Amino acid sequence: MTFEIDVGGRVRQVSVEPLGAADGSGGRFRVRVDDDVVELDARPTDLGLSLVTAERRVVDAALTALAGGDWLVELPHVVVRAAVDGRRSRRAEADARGAGQQRLVAPMPGRIVRVLVTPGDQVAARQGLVVIEAMKMENELAAIRPGTVSEVAVAEGALVEAGRLLVVVE
Amino acid sequence: MKVLIANRGEIAVRIIRACRELGLGTVAVYSDADRAALHVRLADEAWHIGPSPARDSYLRIDGLLDVARASGATLVHPGYGFLAENEVFAAACVDAGLTFVGPTADAIARMGSKTAARHAAIAAGVQVVPGAVEPYAADAPEAAIVAEAERLGYPIVVKAVAGGGGKGMRTVEAPAELPAAIRAARSEALSAFGDAAIYLERRLIGPRHIEIQLLADHHGTILGFVERECSIQRRHQKVVEESPSPVLPADTRRAMAACAVRVAREVGYTNAGTIEFLVDATGEFFFLEMNTRLQVEHPVTEMVTGVDLVQWQLRIAQGERLTVTPEQALTPRGHAIECRVYAEDPDRQFLPSPGLVRALSTPAGPGVRDDRGVAPGFEIPVFYDSMIAKLVAWGATRADAIDRLARALNEYRVVGVQTTVPFFQWIVRQPEFLEGRFDTTYLDRVLASRQGQPFVDVTDADARDAAMAVALGAWFRAHGASTAGTGDSGGAWRRAARFEGLGGLGS
Repeated sequence: MTFEIDVGGRVRQVSVEPLGAADGSGGRFRVRVDDDVVELDARPTDLGLSLVTAERRVVDAALTALAGGDWLVELPHVVVRAAVDGRRSRRAEADARGAGQQRLVAPMPGRIVRVLVTPGDQVAARQGLVVIEAMKMENELAAIRPGTVSEVAVAEGALVEAGRLLVVVE
Repeated sequence: MKVLIANRGEIAVRIIRACRELGLGTVAVYSDADRAALHVRLADEAWHIGPSPARDSYLRIDGLLDVARASGATLVHPGYGFLAENEVFAAACVDAGLTFVGPTADAIARMGSKTAARHAAIAAGVQVVPGAVEPYAADAPEAAIVAEAERLGYPIVVKAVAGGGGKGMRTVEAPAELPAAIRAARSEALSAFGDAAIYLERRLIGPRHIEIQLLADHHGTILGFVERECSIQRRHQKVVEESPSPVLPADTRRAMAACAVRVAREVGYTNAGTIEFLVDATGEFFFLEMNTRLQVEHPVTEMVTGVDLVQWQLRIAQGERLTVTPEQALTPRGHAIECRVYAEDPDRQFLPSPGLVRALSTPAGPGVRDDRGVAPGFEIPVFYDSMIAKLVAWGATRADAIDRLARALNEYRVVGVQTTVPFFQWIVRQPEFLEGRFDTTYLDRVLASRQGQPFVDVTDADARDAAMAVALGAWFRAHGASTAGTGDSGGAWRRAARFEGLGGLGS
C-alpha cells in the first residue's frame, strides 16, 4: 500500500509492504519513504505502534487517527501532525491563498459568552468576533483576515458543539 | 468513619488515597458527566448529585449535605476549587453536625475576602501589596473603579475578592483595557466562586510569587513550611511550582514563615492553608493573600519534607496534635518540581482540549509522582477546570529534579486529547528556567514574543518517523487491527471539527 503523507507541508511518498507472515497482529515490513528503504518490525500497542528498525532503532509512536485523514503522532519527545493522501495540503493551500470566505466555527464545545459583531460590520485581521467559554476559561475567537461580517449564526448564551458555525466573514 | 469528598478529578483521587491510608471510608460524588470518572471508580461509595454544570452539582450545598446525611459520612473534605473556600458551606457542614476538613467558617470568610485578609495581615504586622482598601460589589459603578485605578497608577491587577487559582484575575496595562478586564474578571469570578465582587492591586516590578504552606492544629500549634516558588505563571495561573525557591536565602525563608504563622495566629487559623507573598526585585516580601485550603502545588512540599499534608488535614480535623517539628517543616530534603498537566493545546494558544482519552501512558520510576484524575476511556468534560494531572519530580538537587522531570515528561503520553506536556518539555530547556531567572511576568512575556511558534521542533528525522508510523498505522487499520488511537469515534470527529475550526482562529 502506498500513501502520500504530509508533515508540516512536505509530502512524502510512503509505501508499506509486509514481509512474510505480517498481519494485523504485527510482523516485519519493508517501508519506503521517498527513496529510502527501511526494514522494520511493527507491533500494535496500547498507544499505537512499536517499531524496531533493522538497525535496532526503537520508534514508539502513540497514534490518533482523526476523521478525514489527519493523524496525530506522539513520539516520546515530540508531537507531529500528519495528513494522509493530501487532504491537509489542499486546506493549507486554500488558507495560504488568503482569499474568500472565512467560516469561524467553534474550536471546542462550549458556551457563547459574547458575540462581538453584527452582520455588515467591517472587521480587521485579528479582531475578536465571538467569546466562547469552555473549562472555565473565556477564549476570544478572532478573524484571520479583514472583511465584512455576512452572517452571525449564534446567539449569546448558546451552548455549541465543536465544529458549529459561528460567524461568516466575506 | 467515612469522609465525603466534595470534589472531583485529580484532587478527589488524591484525597481518597489519604483516606485509604488512614483507614477512613470514602464517599465520592459525581455529576452526569463524571459517572465513569476515576474518583468515582476509586471510592468506596459514589452518589450522583446532579447535572454536569458545576452550579447544578458540585456547587450545590444542599445536595452535598443530603449525601453526607444519607451515606453516614462524618467528615467533609472540600479539596480545592468549587466550595473549598466557601464559608457558607463550611458553616452548613458544622450546622449539620459534620466535621469540615479545613479552617472555621469565620477564618474562611475573613481570609477568603482578599480585602479583609489584607487588613488581617496589616494587624499582624506584615507588609501587604499596595492596593485598594475596599472591595467593589457586583453592582458597583464602573466609574468608581476607573477612578481608583487612576489613583493607584497602572499597571494594575483586577482581582476577584473571592478569587483563587488565578480565576477572576486580569492584569491591566492601560486605562482603555480596564472595562473589558472588569467584565471578564466578574464573569469568571461569578462562574467560579458565585461572587462577582472585585478589587484592585498595584502590580509590583519583577515580582516573584513565593508562598508558605501552613498546618495549624486545634491545640495552638501553627507550623510554617519551607517555601514554594510559583512564579512560572500563564495569565495568573500557576503552571510550574517548585520547592525550595531557587533564589530565596535561608534567613528570608525563616522570616517569611514567621510572618505567615503570625497572620494565621491573628485569625485563629486551623488546618492547612497557604500564605502567598510577592517578593520584589530587591528581595522585600509583601503579603498577597491567603488560600484557606489545600493548594494544587502541595505535593512539592510533601516531596521535600516527607510530610503528608492531606493526611494531616484529616488528622487535625479529628483533633490530633501536630507532631511534625518546625525543623522538619522548614528544612527541605532535595528539590521537587511540579507541572500542572492541562487538557489544552499549547500550540493553539492553550485552547481547551476536552474529549475522549483513548489511551494513556504515564511516567513512573524513581522520584516521580503522577497525581492524575483521568483514565483511558474517560471523556474529559467541558464543564470543569482543564487540569487533568500534576506531575511531580524529586531530585537531590534542583538540576537533578529538572533532569528527572524532563525524563518523566518524555514518558507522559495521552492519546485522544491535547495536553500541555509539549509546553513543559520546552520550558524545562529554557535558560531562564534552568538558571532560576524568572518572575511572574516571565512566561507571558516569552509566550507573547514567540508569536505562536510551536513548542516542539520537528526535525526531519522526526517527520520521517512520523510519516512511517502513520503509513503503518493506516496499513494496520486497513488490516483490521485496532490500536488505541486508530479507530474513529465521536471524539475523533469532534477533534477533526476542531481542526477545521482552526482556520478561523486568530491570536
